[in-house]
Amino acid sequence: MIWRASGFRAWLLQRLSAVYMALFIGMFVLHLVLDAPSSYQEWRTWMALPFITVTASIFFAALLIHAWVGLRDVIIDYVHPLGMRFVLLALVAAGLLAMGLWVLRILMMGGAA
Amino acid sequence: MRFSIYRYNPETDAAPSMQDFDLPDADVAPGMMLLDALRLIKVSDETLSFRHSCGEGVCGSDAMNINGRNGLACITPLASLKQPIEIRPVPGMPVIRDLVVDMSQFYHQYRAIQPYLIVHDPEPEVEYLQTPEQRDELDGLYECILCGCCSTACPSFWWNPDKFRGPAALLQAYRFLADSRDQATAERLEALEGPYRLFRCHTVMNCVDVCPKGLNPTKAIGKIKKLMLKHLI
Repeated sequence: MIWRASGFRAWLLQRLSAVYMALFIGMFVLHLVLDAPSSYQEWRTWMALPFITVTASIFFAALLIHAWVGLRDVIIDYVHPLGMRFVLLALVAAGLLAMGLWVLRILMMGGAA
Repeated sequence: MRFSIYRYNPETDAAPSMQDFDLPDADVAPGMMLLDALRLIKVSDETLSFRHSCGEGVCGSDAMNINGRNGLACITPLASLKQPIEIRPVPGMPVIRDLVVDMSQFYHQYRAIQPYLIVHDPEPEVEYLQTPEQRDELDGLYECILCGCCSTACPSFWWNPDKFRGPAALLQAYRFLADSRDQATAERLEALEGPYRLFRCHTVMNCVDVCPKGLNPTKAIGKIKKLMLKHLI
């Protein structure tokens, strides 16, 4: 889907992901300020709560979508030769995808342990 | 009063260069505009080329880059400018000669947004009627004189002038989207879709900064996006 998000849809995804990230970061920071985990174990338990795992997963998905739209915009602006543009877009996509899988692994492992 | 003016004649010059001019202070009258000074300079060197017509900020012919900022020479007071006054053609456009640029691409983008009312209903026998409120919607949009100050100050237009419509054309696109008499809203929005035509705008807002008529293309572009959202829902 995202690959074909051209003008309006890409813009909308960027806005929506930004709003979600702002809300999530607000919630996250508020928790760290009001009820900071006192030990690593406590932190892991909190992160393993289904609500936190799910909202954090959505947060990282939003982050990757946001980054994809933004970096794609930069590449469309400045890189005009099509071959070069394709290579750069593929590199960005691969990098973001790898980070996404890595994050997913960390979040899932946290739940398992 | 000292000037440094961009000179380039593609037929004889290998590269553009800056030429210094001195205007005797005796020639500078209070309240004089930059265009008046350029005309005096042209008396001493008639090869200096620039466009101008009405001389009062209505025709939009004398857009140029004045001390690094796009504006109309005819409504820029000399007293407001730091010397030496550096004058260049508006950036990003092919130079025909000196301060005269080829505006074809700019006009092409303007024509592409279909800058006229499109009505599908049979034409009424009387005038198209509008309420005063509907007419107010066009304020801040219809005043554009197409001088090109905004589009040629826009980085997105510099990088993609062939695909991005640019602030001037997009302001006019919204001018017709906002018109209660126009019936082609969906078609117009569809024609602005895609990664380039509208969405190369990254709200740099250079357009708002330089517009000699005080218009706000960025706001109009935002309203087009809002209309697209409304049409989606």
